[in-house]
Amino acid sequence: MEFLTTFVNGLSLGGIYAMIALGYTMVYGIAKMLNFAHGDIIMVGGYTVHTVLPFLAILLSGVYNPTVAIISSIIAIIAAMVFCMMLGIVVEKVAYKPLRGASPLAVLITAIGVSYLLQSLAQMIFGSAPKHVNIKALDFGILKIGGLAIGYNTIITLVCSILVMIALSLFVKFSKTGRAMVAVSEDKGAAQLMGINVNRIIMITFAIGSALAALASVFFLLKAPTMTPTFGSLPGIKAFTAAVIGGIGSIPGAMIGGILLGVIECFAQAVPAISPYTDAIEFSILIILLLVKPSGLLGKMRREKV
Amino acid sequence: MKKTICKILAVLMCFAMVGAAFVGCKKSDDVIKIGLTGPLTGGASIYGIAVKNSAQLAVDEINEAGGLNGIKFELDMRDDEHKPENVENLYTALVEDGMQVSLGTVTTKPGLEFKNLSKEDNIFFLTPSATGDAVPEFSNGYQMCFADSNQGTAAAEFFNDNYEGKKIGIFYKADDEYSTGITKNFKDALDASFSADLKEANFTGEASTFDSQIQTLKDCEVVFMPIYYTPASQFMTQATKVENKIVTYYGCDGFDGIDAIEGFDITTIPQEISMLSHFNSTAKEGPAADFIKKYNDKYDEEKEPLNQFGAAAYDCVYAIYEALKVAVENGEEVDADTSASDMCEILKKVFNSDTFEFRGITGKCEGDEKSHISWSEDGTVVKEAIKYIVKEKNA
Repeated sequence: MEFLTTFVNGLSLGGIYAMIALGYTMVYGIAKMLNFAHGDIIMVGGYTVHTVLPFLAILLSGVYNPTVAIISSIIAIIAAMVFCMMLGIVVEKVAYKPLRGASPLAVLITAIGVSYLLQSLAQMIFGSAPKHVNIKALDFGILKIGGLAIGYNTIITLVCSILVMIALSLFVKFSKTGRAMVAVSEDKGAAQLMGINVNRIIMITFAIGSALAALASVFFLLKAPTMTPTFGSLPGIKAFTAAVIGGIGSIPGAMIGGILLGVIECFAQAVPAISPYTDAIEFSILIILLLVKPSGLLGKMRREKV
Repeated sequence: MKKTICKILAVLMCFAMVGAAFVGCKKSDDVIKIGLTGPLTGGASIYGIAVKNSAQLAVDEINEAGGLNGIKFELDMRDDEHKPENVENLYTALVEDGMQVSLGTVTTKPGLEFKNLSKEDNIFFLTPSATGDAVPEFSNGYQMCFADSNQGTAAAEFFNDNYEGKKIGIFYKADDEYSTGITKNFKDALDASFSADLKEANFTGEASTFDSQIQTLKDCEVVFMPIYYTPASQFMTQATKVENKIVTYYGCDGFDGIDAIEGFDITTIPQEISMLSHFNSTAKEGPAADFIKKYNDKYDEEKEPLNQFGAAAYDCVYAIYEALKVAVENGEEVDADTSASDMCEILKKVFNSDTFEFRGITGKCEGDEKSHISWSEDGTVVKEAIKYIVKEKNA
């Protein structure tokens, strides 16, 4: 039973990683850059929820009941997604767009700079002391099936992440913008010649990725409610690892990589002797996999054009 | 006209400066001077102010009762703002002003500076609350509080005495010296009856979810958590979403402040939250309660609240006084002119002797009896820990 509980916990943690990994993988696939500030978008999402929730509580204090509480939590989540979406667009416009033709290294360094900028801003505004963000209205208790006891949140997280992935896959496959994204990722120059506005497509990619990061932050807070200005960086790195394991640039790859990493993390932490080395194990898997299959699990092998 | 005023002012200023130069040399006659530094302003000032007030209370009491055979004590506390870089200047000023014996510093980081400086001058110090393992490193340094890693031993002794037959677990941070140090000492001192069935879980890094660790520990009744309050509060909150049998969370001084995390409502945790401490600041009876009453009569409870730091400082002053008394009985000469270095040798001899035992208000007091406190050779304190309950178990 314990095995099953740990497995389900791992799946839901993996779902969160996958949601973040989608942002990495899409941006890499389309803009061909590693957006290391992505992890800090998660943090911004968390702080947005933290700021909006009490504000809504005051605004709706006259009509407060459980339903209103749930609705206001959902409004806070949407607010976080919208805010992060805008932030993602602004970061892309201000920091990355001017470097479109620059070397990948310059873009990478800029991304790291943006990451530190966001962390420092959060520290200036909210201070470095940890904040506890308990979204009480979305805490639905424990589901019991036989001997299995799992929090509803775990299930909601899992279901939501799967829904998001299906929706995103459908969007990319069937919508006009989605097709344009695939085209840009295949060949930017050719896409432009076909009349696709590359800058617009990249902007949309950043917007979607950042909104997903905000959603991931909410699920992360439902699991672990403590937040500091740097709390996005580790999940960010893990999700990046997941994206690389799955094959960077591939959407189903990000899902598989994320879930794989989440399950491994939960099982490693369940064994006290192995638990201190959890991170080491996760990153070792990355290294081994890259040695065996350099393009990741579902990544496409591409011949470099010389 | 203007020039004349300028000249007069200049002459006056000269006098003032000469006067100021002599002020530093003045030592009030016939007192033994106790010096220390601590945060009196800034974020940690709540600790420094409690220490200052409590130490002053002890000094006043001793002086009223006649001092050490007529020799009075005087307290000289300087504000280090909890910044190690301030300590050197303050220390020099204290020495120049005639500090003979010291309470060291209130907090650990400045304390690590202080121990190096005081070693050179051979000045005895007994810190109320700098818990760092390295603070009493040299032979002139002593602690009234438990050293960080010794908390593990003290906690294990508490478990041996109070949680017999209960299932216990331990949750620690595997990449943190504070946490692993306490954990190791805890496991070493724990009774075999516990060790056989001890559940263990740990974590590393900052942000993490604790689902798996909670699965490991959910059947324990008491969970020992030698970690800081942030991950602890996260564990507790996450555990409310899992069916568990946990009754008590038991932490060390890292738990200090768990009831003050922004947004964390401690009453949402159904379990008892308690911590290893040496003073119960809510005691209703016994020597601790007497001290709390004396403190609150003299100082403003709201603005300058008492905490375990203050209680330890009160004990520190009395311990030095008692030790000097023993020294005088043994025929040592102690007076207002004894040099700091001589004083250090005299005090070290008393503190290291097997027979010296101090009865204080920190540590475990049985009824109206004061606690038994002594020191080991390395300067760490030996006394019985108590459990301070931050939050009672929900009914």
